[in-house]
Amino acid sequence: MNRIVLRRLAQVIPLVLAVIVLNFVLIHLAPGSLFDVMTAEQQISDPAMLDQLRHTYGVDQPTWVQLAKYIWSVMRLDLGFSYRQNAPVLNVIMDQLPATVILMLAATSVALLVGVTAGVLASVRVNTIWDNLISLAAVFFFAAPSFWLGIMMTVLFAVKLGWFPVGGIRTIGAGNGPFADALDVMHHLVLPATALGLFYAATYARVMRASMLEVFRLDFVRTARAKGLSPARVVLAHVMRNALLPIVTLLGLQLGTILGGSVVIEAVFSWPGIGSLLFDSVMSRNFPMVLGVLVLGSLLVAVANATVDLLYLRLDPRIRAR
Amino acid sequence: MLNLAIDFARRFARNRAALIGLLLVIVVVGVALAAPWLFPRNPLRIVGRPEIWPFVNSRYPLGTDSLGRDIAAMIAYGARTTLLIGLCASLTATLIGITIGATAAYFGGWIDEMLMRFTELFQTIPNLIFVLTIVSILGQKIEYVTVAVGIVTWTPIARLTRAEFMALRDREFVQACRAMGMGNLRIMLGEILPNALPPVIVLSSLVIAGAVLFESAVSFLGLGDPNVSSWGRLIGDGRTLIRTSWYICAVPGLAIMITVLALNLVGDGLNDALNPKLRDR
Repeated sequence: MNRIVLRRLAQVIPLVLAVIVLNFVLIHLAPGSLFDVMTAEQQISDPAMLDQLRHTYGVDQPTWVQLAKYIWSVMRLDLGFSYRQNAPVLNVIMDQLPATVILMLAATSVALLVGVTAGVLASVRVNTIWDNLISLAAVFFFAAPSFWLGIMMTVLFAVKLGWFPVGGIRTIGAGNGPFADALDVMHHLVLPATALGLFYAATYARVMRASMLEVFRLDFVRTARAKGLSPARVVLAHVMRNALLPIVTLLGLQLGTILGGSVVIEAVFSWPGIGSLLFDSVMSRNFPMVLGVLVLGSLLVAVANATVDLLYLRLDPRIRAR
Repeated sequence: MLNLAIDFARRFARNRAALIGLLLVIVVVGVALAAPWLFPRNPLRIVGRPEIWPFVNSRYPLGTDSLGRDIAAMIAYGARTTLLIGLCASLTATLIGITIGATAAYFGGWIDEMLMRFTELFQTIPNLIFVLTIVSILGQKIEYVTVAVGIVTWTPIARLTRAEFMALRDREFVQACRAMGMGNLRIMLGEILPNALPPVIVLSSLVIAGAVLFESAVSFLGLGDPNVSSWGRLIGDGRTLIRTSWYICAVPGLAIMITVLALNLVGDGLNDALNPKLRDR
């Protein structure tokens, strides 16, 4: 078991290396050199400063040396320095990362809760009005852009009804105890997490319905019914457990898109995560920051993917035999 | 051939949702094509008082935005941008995907291993972050947005093409071609590809829908081409006015939703008609 875990984690390393190389290629694709853009955008004109920067970024050396140096520095988690925030890139990203992770986890929970419930309901009441309504809702939420959904929800629930705040993560000046603080953050989290999660909920509902219907046909379900188990117990303990596997696969595949989607949602709800940071950095052409977000985002997805694979191993012991 | 086409059309028409989708796609394409006749002037031109609500003034049926530009005209021209980017991005993705998937499956061995690792790399990189990075480095031009969207959406196509090629590459007709001394390229393009294409085409049609969503997100963030009218951009511009004039966001959002919905329905219908085996999935 430990060997499988180690081997799966080892597969992450070449992926991250490749992302770093890709980053390097992107830097060299930029019109003019990145160095020019960086110094021009940040209005650095002092010759001593320029020389020092040229040395730190190693612009005066051949390409392969630059690549090796770049890989080495990223490996040491040195992603460069951001003059805009006047702090190392890594520190800035790490400050903002928790907010994004919270948003992603909340959105995934919303997606799983809504999607699985809807899928189970649709499969239990297959070909009834419930099934049709759920399928219709799934088709609609699958087509709606998440940022638009977010804005429309803001209009209804924040502006017209005033139930939820328009944006941000905390009420300003409302600091009384960690418990009240957590409640406050959760209150701010409802709209962004729902807007981001509903798209994935639509996918899960469709997949869950199909997978439930497939499992319903299997022999062991008939056995469970023949034993005299209650219908609810058959559905929840026997069918649903086995139907959940495709959802786990899908979840692993979609982590990258959820992270991407949170960029847009963060922009809509001014959520202070790495999405807002990326947006701000793209706008101000702060390239070290953009590339840093790309590397760390890929790392996050790669590690999360490995975790999902290992989770799968626990859920379905048949895989371990191979 | 004609019989086949009729048979295909009948199977497609049996799916009522797909027919509705096709109808909607035709409407959107029609609006996009007719935009220069419906609205002969530049859609980004200011025409009237700002913030007129829809259905109030018959000259501006969908109202005007914060600058007093005709929303109906921007929607019509936005359809051109959206469809063009969607189609081109899907074409780019299909080309990359087929090339990589076919090469990997046909040659196998270490080439397969390497190309699949490459595909995995692109699945790992958070796609929207990658698109934003490319656009911010190369510049805000419609071509770059298209290519960037194509680059992040080709991986499923490559995987599907690979699976199809795997199933076909050792079949007898391919071995016959090899025995005749045909070159690899000719066998891949002329013999295997036509047989592997139908499911790939279905997937490409679904990729168009995804590409439309990507494009709208990029232009919503204000990183699209500033010189063309686009639905996502209209939503982004209208965002500041949601307290007073939320219709500026609502109308283009509905347009995006209807287009994506229609494309998805058509894709599902094509899937049912072309791959009867997979219908129950």
